[in-house]
Order: sequence, then structure tokens, then C-alpha cells
Amino acid sequence: MTDASFRDQALIHIDALYNFALYLARSAAEADDLVQETYLRAFRFESRFQPGTHLRAWLFQILRNTFLTFYRICEREAAVAEDGVPDWDVPMFHDAPDDTGGTMDTHTDLERALRRLPEDFRTVLLLAEVEGLPLEDVARIMSCPVGTVKSRIFRAKERLRTLLQDYDKT
Amino acid sequence: MSERGPDFSDEGLSRRLASELPRHRAPAHVRSAVMRAAAGRSPRTGWGPAAFAAAATAMAVSLLFIAILPTSLTSDPVERLLRAVVAEHMRTVMWGARRPDIIPAVTEEAGIGLARSFSGDDRLTFLAAETVFIDRRRGVALHYRDVDGHLITYVVLPGQGVGVPDRKRVQVDRWRPALLQDAGFSTLMWKQADFVCLLVSDMVSPTDVQHFKEYFVRVRTATEPVPNY
Repeated sequence: MTDASFRDQALIHIDALYNFALYLARSAAEADDLVQETYLRAFRFESRFQPGTHLRAWLFQILRNTFLTFYRICEREAAVAEDGVPDWDVPMFHDAPDDTGGTMDTHTDLERALRRLPEDFRTVLLLAEVEGLPLEDVARIMSCPVGTVKSRIFRAKERLRTLLQDYDKT
Repeated sequence: MSERGPDFSDEGLSRRLASELPRHRAPAHVRSAVMRAAAGRSPRTGWGPAAFAAAATAMAVSLLFIAILPTSLTSDPVERLLRAVVAEHMRTVMWGARRPDIIPAVTEEAGIGLARSFSGDDRLTFLAAETVFIDRRRGVALHYRDVDGHLITYVVLPGQGVGVPDRKRVQVDRWRPALLQDAGFSTLMWKQADFVCLLVSDMVSPTDVQHFKEYFVRVRTATEPVPNY
């Protein structure tokens, strides 16, 4: 793949990356930085990309690693379950305050609920369900086995469901 | 006919996530910034300019650390050393690989030899070696990249006056290095002969830390620093 071809191929995914970054960081300013940093890294380490593998997944992986490095550095779960995700009853930093008041329609509830999930849960749903990436790619991006991805999807949906049902009652 | 409520089944949630979740497009200023970065790229012409830029960045990063981290002026030698090593690692993260073929020259310059050194394997790729000057100690840094893209920096420095904090020690294989976490980086610290050795990376999640410990075993087993006077 030539430089120009790589660049063009990479730029195709900018909207998907930005969408992922926005849900991950929950801040437009941080999403801006994340996407720019992701592309800077991708261009700098272009030689490390293996042609024939999924460029889209590679870019998502860079973005998430960048996020974990620069934006989540002070946030650590107090306790984790065996699949690396905090248990439901454990107080967690990632449970963002529900600061979005007022009337909301269903899809806004969905967005609001997603934003309240822990980072691992949000990431797995965004990659697998929203972006439609194969589970193998999601596993690679999240540096965990496919089985763990499946488990996280299951638990993330459980939690999402609970949040949505709570919103539905109010 | 009764009105149907929201679908909370697994399939329903999948469908809603795929179709109802608002998608956000990259704003124009982000798009143009990325395009400018892409257009401004030029082929590497050699390592000289990169090394010069790295030195300049190291200076800038050092100044930044001094400016924004007053606690970095701590008198605790371990904490001070840890922050300096993380800063050195950050410089590598920012500027990527340098020359991988200069271990002999580097060790001669640093006054620390490597009787054996870990040269990489199926998970870790050796990237570069360089002389470093950290916390008033001259030493050697070896940089690696793992298959997931994490950069790992091994640093060996003269160990006088620095102790490994006992309460941070963890059992890794047959060794008990200290696992220290600061500013989003994990560092494993141990003494070897008269040297203090540190392995640092941005691997902080539980899974990554487990991998990081495995990397420690590989590096610790295969690397032997010796005085090189």
C-alpha cells in the first residue's frame, strides 16, 4: 500500500473514529484530540500496519490505546471481576453522574444509558454492536480473548437494559 | 391493539444500538487538522533530524514536568526516579523508534555494559537502544514494542542510594520486583547487581499488567547489566 493510498484509506474512517471517541471520552474536546492523535500515530507508525489486515480495526485499536494512555490514566477500578470488568455492585468511577436532565426521547435515553456504562462495556458495545466489527477484531482491539468479549457484551447489555428500564419507568 | 413498549431483548438492544444511537460526524476543524497532518507528512530522511527533534522534545517535556508537577521535586528518590523514567519513556512514545543497532556504543558511553540483553521474541520486538541521563544518573535504555502496539522501555541505572520499596513488591515468577503505577504508566523496579532496573509501559489494565509481568520475566531472564569501566 502506498503512502497516499494508506492515507486515503485511513481517512475514510474518520467519522466512525470520531463517533467512537466521543462516546469513549464523553467530551467533544477530548474526542477532537483523540482523533487527531490517533491519525498522527497511524501516519507515524504506518510501516507497522500489515497490509491485508483490517485497517479499520487497527485505527480503533490505536484510538482506544491512546484513550487509555492519556485520558483514563487516573481512573482505576477498585475491584474487578474475573473478566476484568468491575462488578455491578462495586462503586465505580466509570459510573458517570446522570447529569442529563429534562425530557428525552428513546434514542436519547439509549445514548444516555450508554454513556453511563463503564469504559469496557461501552467499548465492547460500540465496537461490536454499533460499528459491527467481528468479535475477533474486537478482541484484538481490547487485548482480550473472544470469550471475554462475548461475556462483556452480555453483561453490558444486562446493565444497559437495567438503565433503560429505569428511564422507562420515570 | 395495545401499544408496544420498548424492546429490551438482546436482539432488540442490538438493533437499537445499531440503528437508534445517534452517530456523530467528525467536525470540520478535526477533519481539516487531520488532512493537514496527512498532507504534511514527508518521508523519513534519516535518524538525525528525529534525534534532534527528540532532544528538543525531551527538553520541552522536562520543562513541562517542572512547570506543572511541583510534586516531581519530591525528595523521595524512588518517586523522583520513577517520574524521570516515565518521562523518558514518554519521549520514546512520542518519537517512536530510533536506531536498533547501537547497543555496544551505547553501553560504552553509559558506563554500563550488558553481558546479555533481551533482543526480542515472538511478542516483543526490539526497537532501539540509547544512552540516557536520568535523575543525575547515566544509564542505558532499551525500547521494545509488543504485538499489541505497546511500547516498553527497559532502563538500567547505577543503583546507589535507591532502594526498591518493599510494600510495593509483587511476586513475578521467581522474582519480587516492585510494581509502581504513576500517571497512567506501570513500572516494575528491581535491583540487579549494583544497578537499579526499571521496566515501564502504559500497560495499566489488569490484563495488560499481566502481560507486562510476562515481559518482565523475559527481560529479566535475558538481560544482565555489568559495570563497564
